[in-house]
Amino acid sequence: MAPKQNDLLQGTLDMMVLKAVSLGPLHGYGVLLRIQQISGNRLEVQQGSLYPALYRLEHEGWIASEWGQSENNRRAKYYRLTAAGRRRLHTETEKWNHMADAIGAILRATPEEV
Amino acid sequence: MSVASRIATWWKAVRRPEQLSIEIEDELRFHIEAYATDLMRSGLPREEAFRRARAELGGLAAQKETCREAWGTRAWDELRSDLRYATRMLAKSPGFTAIAIGSLALGIGANTIIFTVTKAILLDKLAVPHPEELRLFAITQGDKGVVHSSWGYFDQTPDGKMLSTSFSYPVYQQLRKHNNALQDIFAFKNYGRLTATVDDKAEVVNSEMVSGNYYRALDVHPILGRPIVDTDDTAPGSSPVLLISYGYWTRRFSRSPDVIGKKIEVNSAPMTIIGVNPPDFTGVFGVQSSPDVFLPFSMQPIAAPKFGSSLLTDQNLWWVMMMGRLKPGVSAEAAQSKLDADLNGAVRATLTVGKDEEMPRLILENGSRGQNEAGGEFAKPIYVLMSLAGFVLLLACANLANLLLARASSRQREMSVRLALGAGRARILRQMLTESLLLSGAGGALGLLLGYAGRNALPHLLSSSWEPTAVDGKFDWMIFGFTAAVSIFTGLLFGLAPAWQATRTQVSSGLKDNAQTATQRKRNLTGKTLVVIQVALSMLLLVGAGLFVRTLMNLNGAHLGFRPDNILLFDLQPQQTRYPDAKGIALYHQVEEKLAAVPGVDSVTLASVPLIANNISNMYFTPDGQPENSNSKGKKKAVDFNTVGADFFKTFQIPMIAGRSFDDTDTETSRKVAIVNQQLVKQFFPNTNPIGKTFMAGDRDNPKRIEIVGICKDAKYESLRRDPPATFYVPYRQQDGAEEMNFAIHTRMQADAIVPSLRSAVASIDKDLPLQDIRTQNEQIEDTTRQERIFASLTSGFGILALILASIGIYGIMAYTVARRTNEIGIRMALGAQSGKVLRMILREASWMAVVGVIAGLGAAVAMARLIASMLFGLKPYDPLTLGCASLLLVLIAIAASWVPAWRAAHVDPIKALRHE
Repeated sequence: MAPKQNDLLQGTLDMMVLKAVSLGPLHGYGVLLRIQQISGNRLEVQQGSLYPALYRLEHEGWIASEWGQSENNRRAKYYRLTAAGRRRLHTETEKWNHMADAIGAILRATPEEV
Repeated sequence: MSVASRIATWWKAVRRPEQLSIEIEDELRFHIEAYATDLMRSGLPREEAFRRARAELGGLAAQKETCREAWGTRAWDELRSDLRYATRMLAKSPGFTAIAIGSLALGIGANTIIFTVTKAILLDKLAVPHPEELRLFAITQGDKGVVHSSWGYFDQTPDGKMLSTSFSYPVYQQLRKHNNALQDIFAFKNYGRLTATVDDKAEVVNSEMVSGNYYRALDVHPILGRPIVDTDDTAPGSSPVLLISYGYWTRRFSRSPDVIGKKIEVNSAPMTIIGVNPPDFTGVFGVQSSPDVFLPFSMQPIAAPKFGSSLLTDQNLWWVMMMGRLKPGVSAEAAQSKLDADLNGAVRATLTVGKDEEMPRLILENGSRGQNEAGGEFAKPIYVLMSLAGFVLLLACANLANLLLARASSRQREMSVRLALGAGRARILRQMLTESLLLSGAGGALGLLLGYAGRNALPHLLSSSWEPTAVDGKFDWMIFGFTAAVSIFTGLLFGLAPAWQATRTQVSSGLKDNAQTATQRKRNLTGKTLVVIQVALSMLLLVGAGLFVRTLMNLNGAHLGFRPDNILLFDLQPQQTRYPDAKGIALYHQVEEKLAAVPGVDSVTLASVPLIANNISNMYFTPDGQPENSNSKGKKKAVDFNTVGADFFKTFQIPMIAGRSFDDTDTETSRKVAIVNQQLVKQFFPNTNPIGKTFMAGDRDNPKRIEIVGICKDAKYESLRRDPPATFYVPYRQQDGAEEMNFAIHTRMQADAIVPSLRSAVASIDKDLPLQDIRTQNEQIEDTTRQERIFASLTSGFGILALILASIGIYGIMAYTVARRTNEIGIRMALGAQSGKVLRMILREASWMAVVGVIAGLGAAVAMARLIASMLFGLKPYDPLTLGCASLLLVLIAIAASWVPAWRAAHVDPIKALRHE
């Protein structure tokens, strides 16, 4: 069973949605699937917080939406990354990596290094 | 970038909420279908798959709300729901809402109307670019000053000097020549009335005389034609041009563009109209109204001669007003000292300075509002009116706060439920304040309408009944903003207390069935304090009303010394070019005789100073054989006088005490005579008979020796307020000339009936001589009390409003008290208290509040009355009759207002009351 999403912060969900959408326009359900897919099925996004996140990101202008046709000819809302979103993804990724390095360094500390 | 998308998404959420809602639904439905399809593919039955899909996504309504909120609509949605709820709550109690909005509308409307007038009189600036740069020239001089002869406006400075804004024309020319302190110095003069004939129709117009650089220095451009320029102001008569005001263009020429180049005769001098001023421009003399024609100074000797020779070369008469714009980088103080030195030089160059005489000092006054005559005169009354209107508003607020508090207590249950369900106290506060602001907003909107409807009421009352309205009630954005600010402030003021109380509700006790909370006592205290404040404010307003009404009554009943009834007045101002000096006197005599023959006319007379018209003429008066008349400061005393016709005393029915009145033997060539009044005899001839004695009167250059032939009874001179001063009367036929005379006709006919015959009588002598300012003597007297009349009516209105609001307030709180104490009253009655006792208990409580309020109000009223003492007449500020009546009235009103609740309390059925528990 993949670890539940509850522990993850709202900011990381935003980042993951941006990343998912950066790989190509997706509808909401598609974003869900893609995150699951590229995480190698290790991560499942809690569905209740998905759409609020998508709307929030659209409000900030990092993704843009338009209505289109899905694979089985149903009407669906597709999201794509905007230029501002791309920049945001970049900065967030850098911050995340920075943070991960710092915490990783702390966790790798051995008694001898102190 | 993100700001743009934030605004776009927010806007969509606000403008098209249903469409957004449908879109979110579609999107979520798609999601559920897709997820369910996947689940079905992995083997779940259809029902189960859909159920699970829906469950994992969460409630549709909740999702919709969260998504909508993500687009930043939270504040907007909450505001809308608050407003909807508030409207519903207010609609449920229409009586309360009507009273609340009504009293707010009256309070805010009153304030708006008075602010409109305040703005016009005290705040509005001249309609020129950068009016704050303008400086008005003024001089101060003491008793031994070098300037003797002035025509213009004077004021007293706090240290007893005279402040005047008039300069001689040669001094103006000198100052302008040597000027490097200001950008430029231009001159102007509110010259007064001239006769203008256009297309053979003669009428009287108001004029402003301006220098050649006036329009350039002010940076004002006519909307039609060209302005007056420097080349128009050179040799006298070289450029007979003038501009007309926008108002005159509309009134007289119906805004026709071919007014440019039209011939216009000013006092028989041919001139041409060359331009029309912009609509807002009122000249630089004042802000309220514009003169009709603007002509250059060079035309003065030709078109508007006064006092004989050309005023442009007269070195003795100081009459011209001057202004200039400050130079950037030069401070006002620096400019003033430089110009003061220049003035010194200019005076020495143009006048002969006597040995002991002082030089005048120059002052630069703020010119952004012109001469600001109206402002100075009206400043204090306006402040008083604003304060009173503010009190009325405070009263309405206190009333509302009380009513809302009472309502809030009945909504305790609702508040407890809200708090229990998790509402934050801030949220509840916000909702209660929305209700109050909705009330005050509605009251403010209504008040704005009231203010708009009444915007001309006050200016109308401020101008004479026979003159066109001086102040035009301009209704602009500042007034709108003022009303909005007052509404918001009011809403917060009276809404805060109830809102605060609501959030302090204790949840647990509020949910219980009978909420007998421990805070009950305290709540009553707030309510009672509010009522005491209301009573105190009402006391203030009632006392104010009483004082002003009685002042008006005293003025109207003042003993005049003459009989004003059945007297018709009008002015004649013959053209100086046609009737100079003696010719003018002959003309008046002709008119006098012609008018006496008109059927319906009992008697005719003239006077240079109409009675009770705020008009003063005085002259130095030295009885022969007495030392030169001067008061303790060594200043020569001038005595009031009037130049009158032979039948003056008969027409006005002023009794003669001794000697004789004027008659036909007093002609232009006979010995110069005068009649004096009792007051003058008391001052100058105590204990002697003045008849036959002579005195010297007139200015130093042209004194006359005059013999006293009669004594008349005292009569009031220029105002109702001043006791009759020492006065002497001389026949007009023995004067050198008179530019304007006021005619008085004693007739029993109505004005409309007799005026046409009077007009034709005058026209038969000179068809270009219009009758100006036709009014009755009573109207003339009333004109001087119009301010008192306005005050009496406004303060009475405020007083009545105060009484109504106070009685509503007292009724409200007593009803509330009785309702809360139904239990207690029931117990008392069950234990044996009589109805009468209960009645008296409630009444006692009400009257106690009223008495405390009255005492507090008394103190404030006496303090206020001292401030307005100068406006009263015939009574002291602490007039006991007024104070006593007001106090009594309020206490009676308090008892009357609490009667119904008290009666209800006395007839409480003890069984029902106890069962309520």
